[in-house]
Amino acid sequence: MRAVRIRRAIVALVTLTALYGIAAEIGFGRLPTRIWMGSHYVDNLKLLPTFRQLGEEGGFLLESRILPDSVVASTRRVTLGLLVGAIAGILLGLATGWAASLEYLADPWVTFFRFTPALALLPLFVVWFGYGETSKVLLIAASVGVITLLGAHDGVRRVPRAYLDAAASLGAGPGLRFRKVVLPLAFPSIFASVRIAAGLAWVTIVVAELIDARMPSLGYLLALSGAYPRVPTMMIAIATIGALVLLFDTVALLLHARATRWMRRAG
Amino acid sequence: MSAPAPILEAAGVSYSYPGPTPTRALEDLNLQVRDNEFLAVLGPVGCGKTTLLRIFAGFLRPVTGAVRCAGAPIEGPGAQRGYVLQEEAIFPWMSVRDNVEFGLLAKGLDEQARRAVSDELLRLIGLSSFESAWPKELSAGMSKMVEVARVLATDPSILLLDEPFGALDAQTRARMQDALARLWEQRRKTVLFVTHDAEEALYLADRIVVLSQRPGHIKAEFPVDIPRPRSLESRFSPGFLALKRRIWEATGNAGA
Repeated sequence: MRAVRIRRAIVALVTLTALYGIAAEIGFGRLPTRIWMGSHYVDNLKLLPTFRQLGEEGGFLLESRILPDSVVASTRRVTLGLLVGAIAGILLGLATGWAASLEYLADPWVTFFRFTPALALLPLFVVWFGYGETSKVLLIAASVGVITLLGAHDGVRRVPRAYLDAAASLGAGPGLRFRKVVLPLAFPSIFASVRIAAGLAWVTIVVAELIDARMPSLGYLLALSGAYPRVPTMMIAIATIGALVLLFDTVALLLHARATRWMRRAG
Repeated sequence: MSAPAPILEAAGVSYSYPGPTPTRALEDLNLQVRDNEFLAVLGPVGCGKTTLLRIFAGFLRPVTGAVRCAGAPIEGPGAQRGYVLQEEAIFPWMSVRDNVEFGLLAKGLDEQARRAVSDELLRLIGLSSFESAWPKELSAGMSKMVEVARVLATDPSILLLDEPFGALDAQTRARMQDALARLWEQRRKTVLFVTHDAEEALYLADRIVVLSQRPGHIKAEFPVDIPRPRSLESRFSPGFLALKRRIWEATGNAGA
């Protein structure tokens, strides 16, 4: 079952890549290389770079260490922000889900921030936390925190009463009920939210890295390649971010599968 | 009722579910369960049987009247009253063994002590080979037996069973009833068993009380003098059938 899914994913990736390669080769020499950018012309443009051109650009980005350093810097920020945000969000969500009085306090704020885009918080965070790493990491943490808070809260709230009653009548106090009943049942919902949050963290980093924009950073690399514009660099940066999102998602999925073995049917 | 003092007692119990149109579930219900007695509460669906059991389990408080366990008022759930819910409440995220041991974990027993108890109970219900299985791998009947074993593990003096076999097919149901009858004959607990099935009540109980339709109160009571151990033969004995008929008549014109 899993092998089939992996095989299908590979087939899908290879097919699309091959189609792109064919399109690029057809376009090579036929597509315009000079476009009007609103105020000036840009020359030597590669609208649909071929694999060879992408290879050359990739070689340069690797050799100059621009790409590897950017990957490291951005991954570090995303990981930190994800950790800080998820820990805070999950703890708060568990608390508001478990204690009715806390929900009362938290509910209007959660609704308030639920649809506030990270971009809207960006100027505020710059003012509060300065131009350094802190505001970038905290911006990611904020968007991750809201999502995971909701995930944990819903997970706790959806625990069927029958399980809690059964545990209570077996003599389990609130602590044991929380650890042995609420947590395992809330876990799938929490992990689903962490997965979404991990994707969102990568969306946020591209924005966050425009604060105090400087290399190395994937977000700024993307912004720079748009300013020149340099299509092969753009494509490589986009593909790199995509691959990192996929990697984060796979790790989250593996952890999720491991912690929810009991949900799968036998055989 | 004379002699042995009731271990469970409901005196003048009424209960209404709150809401825009409050539902009166129980009204002026009086019930006494004697020590080591197997009492079945029989009644139509929606007559307040589950409400009564949840009151005894300590999850609901009567609006009027009092409930007592061994003379003391019931103020919340407690491990001396083992409660098997009507809904499926086996913990699907724990192995069968961990399910059985849950109450012992709550008591703070160490692993070795827990294991000794769960070994014995798993053997008793015939599920030793399923000790490390996930509940999903069990049939509905097996998981209900695990729930019963989980409650028995903490050695409560009273069992409150809410239609434990309600969701099973007739064959499995009969097998589970046999298993429960054997368990009870070995362990001699006080059992309060709620069901809508007259035959099940007759097969298992020492005494049957019939609940009226909502709001529920007790409208008839039948001692069951069918000798134990009961078997398939008992189900077709004249005494069994005669009593079944009388109960049918008592429940048939329910609400009257």
